[in-house]
Amino acid sequence: MMHPLLGNRSYLNIYFAAWLVLAAAQAVILVFTQELAWGLALLDGLTFNTMYAALGVSYWFMVKALAGDNVSFLRTVENHGFAALATSLLWIGAGYVILTHVFSPGREYVAFLKATLVWRGLIGILNYFITISLYHLYILSVRLRQRAVKEAELKTLVKEAELRSLRFQVNPHFIFNSLNSVNSLTLTNPEKAGEMTVKLGNFLRYTLAKGDQKTSLLREELDSMRLYLDIEKVRFGDKIEYDERCPESCRSMKIPGMILQPLFENAIKHGVYESLTPVKIRFDCQRDGDFLKMRLQNSLDDENIQRTGAGIGLKNVRDRLERMYGMKNLFAIEKTDGYFTVRLFIPVKET
Amino acid sequence: MAEIRVLIVDDEEPARLVIKKYLQSHSDMVLVGECSNGFEALKRIQQAQPDIIFLDIQMPKISGFELLELLDEKPVIIFSTAFDQYALKAFEASAADYLLKPYSQERFAEAMNRARLFLLDRTEHDQALNSLVLRREQETEYLSRIIVKDGSKIQILPVEKLLRLEAQDDYVMLFTEHGTSLKKKTMKFFEQHLDSKEFVRIHRSHIIRISFIRQIELFGKESYKVTLKDGTRLPVSKSGHARLKQMLE
Repeated sequence: MMHPLLGNRSYLNIYFAAWLVLAAAQAVILVFTQELAWGLALLDGLTFNTMYAALGVSYWFMVKALAGDNVSFLRTVENHGFAALATSLLWIGAGYVILTHVFSPGREYVAFLKATLVWRGLIGILNYFITISLYHLYILSVRLRQRAVKEAELKTLVKEAELRSLRFQVNPHFIFNSLNSVNSLTLTNPEKAGEMTVKLGNFLRYTLAKGDQKTSLLREELDSMRLYLDIEKVRFGDKIEYDERCPESCRSMKIPGMILQPLFENAIKHGVYESLTPVKIRFDCQRDGDFLKMRLQNSLDDENIQRTGAGIGLKNVRDRLERMYGMKNLFAIEKTDGYFTVRLFIPVKET
Repeated sequence: MAEIRVLIVDDEEPARLVIKKYLQSHSDMVLVGECSNGFEALKRIQQAQPDIIFLDIQMPKISGFELLELLDEKPVIIFSTAFDQYALKAFEASAADYLLKPYSQERFAEAMNRARLFLLDRTEHDQALNSLVLRREQETEYLSRIIVKDGSKIQILPVEKLLRLEAQDDYVMLFTEHGTSLKKKTMKFFEQHLDSKEFVRIHRSHIIRISFIRQIELFGKESYKVTLKDGTRLPVSKSGHARLKQMLE
């Protein structure tokens, strides 16, 4: 940490100006209470106060040396006590010598000076503690500011990490099963195997790329979801029926990257994976005022008895939207007569 | 050597195709069927009596493990899964054989060789299966549903519908509003895997749903009987009464 006075010219000026004011005040008091001559009173005030001002600058190093975390309280008290005493003695000693030997102030003044030395010493000690308290206050304020900055930095880091982990969540089960389908196709239909490999590659690349980006276009998201469904169709054949309705004007709107993937995955997982009959998956969206409203529905087998609880994937989507937009109620789920529905409301930002 | 009868159970057609293709180079094996879910599989197993089953873990409605539980006489099982950390842990701990999708022709041949040995001496295989089932049981905390078999039909019984359970030799009889079913499990298993806030074991042979109790009455000296909402009266053992008292306090 820099010296608060030596490291800052204007603080240093203010500091010495303050001591000059004190010197003047002391002179005025001496004139009116001790009936000293103006010349002597000013000499007294200036000599002692400028000397103290110089000493005060050096106290910083003492404060800094003792301000570490590993210094015991007792040691701090000892050191400051000793320093206060020593600097005060030095101060009044030097002041006395300068005033009596450099100047010739007269016997009356020297007698007054001698009589007030003890008091001056006590004031010196008091000054010492006032000065170091101010230094301590300064250190404290600097540390508080640093901590606030650090905390803010940490918060952004944590938030980013959270968002990143919420974004990439392609189920490993899907990846390995798709590879198994590729293996199968190489044995029966090599041409289709090639097609499937490309689709899988494109889909995975998209999910990885969007893992680092905050937003993407609805068009890109839907393209990637069609790839995803195409791959799942190879595995499940006619068990998937997909219907997409999205006005052209909505397709170029910006939405959080990879926000649809968990919704589609949920529809596949709880719809298709759990069903013996074909499952209808339907996406539609519309602009409504300041919001882009999206809806994904999947049909459920009526006698579907859930084995697993509501997906963590959906909860992540809700959390992500809340964090990104600072608004609640951007996410809703509903289960009615054979359909499971997820609704997203994305605030539209005009660019 | 007699031919070995093989059944494939997997809900994905491409996955079944792989096995069929790989089987072509094993001339001692004959495919007796392929099924895309547990319901079909149970029927087919009873009709075709396969020696070896390729069993996928993740399937609609009932998993491969749940299907396995329903089989009284278990064929040699070769499990297959893509990625399921719980299943993998169970496999590793039990030494049961499993194929990780995607797998090669060579790995498949290895599994087949092991299976041929198991058909000659089943000890090791049966031990592995038992330890696998046991491990799965230990991992489940509370049941949310029970899979039961009625002839060749499978029923999924949600635990919410369960009113009481009664020991019947090696089986437990499960009572719901709509009737009864038998499950080959112990009373102890159900005592451990039903939520103790909802069910209480009142007797060596009886577990009842607490909310299904109509009244408890003293019957003779220090002996109690419970009357259920459907009028059934059941004996309460000494320790059962202690548990009941603790529950109702």
